[in-house]
Amino acid sequence: MDKLATQLKQDAARIEVQVSDELDRRIAVSLQGVTPLTPESPPARQRPAFFWWASSLTGVAAALAIIAIVNSQPQPTVPLEQVVATSPVPEATTPTIDWKTESAMLTRPLQRELEDLQSDIKKAEEKVKRDIGL
Amino acid sequence: MSDELKLISAAKAGSAEAFADLVNSYKIRLLRFLLTRCSSHADAEDALQDTFIAAYRYLHSYDPRWRFSTWLYRIAIRNAQKIRSENVVEFGDLSDEESDPLLHCIAASETENLWLCARRVLKDDVFTATWLRYAEDMSINDISKALDRSDSWTKVNLMRARKALDSEMNSNLNGSEAYG
Repeated sequence: MDKLATQLKQDAARIEVQVSDELDRRIAVSLQGVTPLTPESPPARQRPAFFWWASSLTGVAAALAIIAIVNSQPQPTVPLEQVVATSPVPEATTPTIDWKTESAMLTRPLQRELEDLQSDIKKAEEKVKRDIGL
Repeated sequence: MSDELKLISAAKAGSAEAFADLVNSYKIRLLRFLLTRCSSHADAEDALQDTFIAAYRYLHSYDPRWRFSTWLYRIAIRNAQKIRSENVVEFGDLSDEESDPLLHCIAASETENLWLCARRVLKDDVFTATWLRYAEDMSINDISKALDRSDSWTKVNLMRARKALDSEMNSNLNGSEAYG
């Protein structure tokens, strides 16, 4: 043990302490008035022996009453036309294609418009072929 | 099984005599410690009484993996803090010898007791750690448990306390021929 530790130990022993008889008595008396706590949990509340049966029977009776009420109500009749068959398989979703189109302003009869559009397409095809050297 | 463990088991089983034996074996040590922590002799005695009452009441919660002294000191530290916070007296206010319980217990020729110096220069928790280490020979682990601190905190602060006390001791030795 080093010097400081020795000195501290000696100095602690030099602190003179006496427990007076009065303090001894005080501690003894106060301990007599103390009840050590026990780790046991408080006892469960006592219930009558038939409690479990009574509660079970009540539950069963309530369930039967609800079933009887539900069954006694008249079934709504649905007309056959209103029954719509739905496919159990969900419809396949097709990806949407973003067409680069413009809406045509239809100002003339449809047949005429169609011919104009076809000639426009033909012109465009020729232009493309010319551009790529075919 | 040690005698102390036998007494603890008997006290847990309800033997008041066994607990009275435990009280007798710890009362001096605990009072000496509490005198360093309380602002008056009466407070130290109250803290001692409260410590034994709490220990008796909650003895069932004592875990034998701890040393009994560690558990008891932990309760004592808490009671001393509680009493001090109720009285709101700081040790700095105990400048006169009349009110300092520790000075009462040190002979006039030994007023340079190192614990007086320790109480002056160390913080409360560090003083307690130093006391438990050097006056009670407690291990670092037990001190940490008693103070509810980490082992590293205890080690670091014990080292700092040693340094502070070493320098105080050396300055006293330089000032006078002998110390203590």
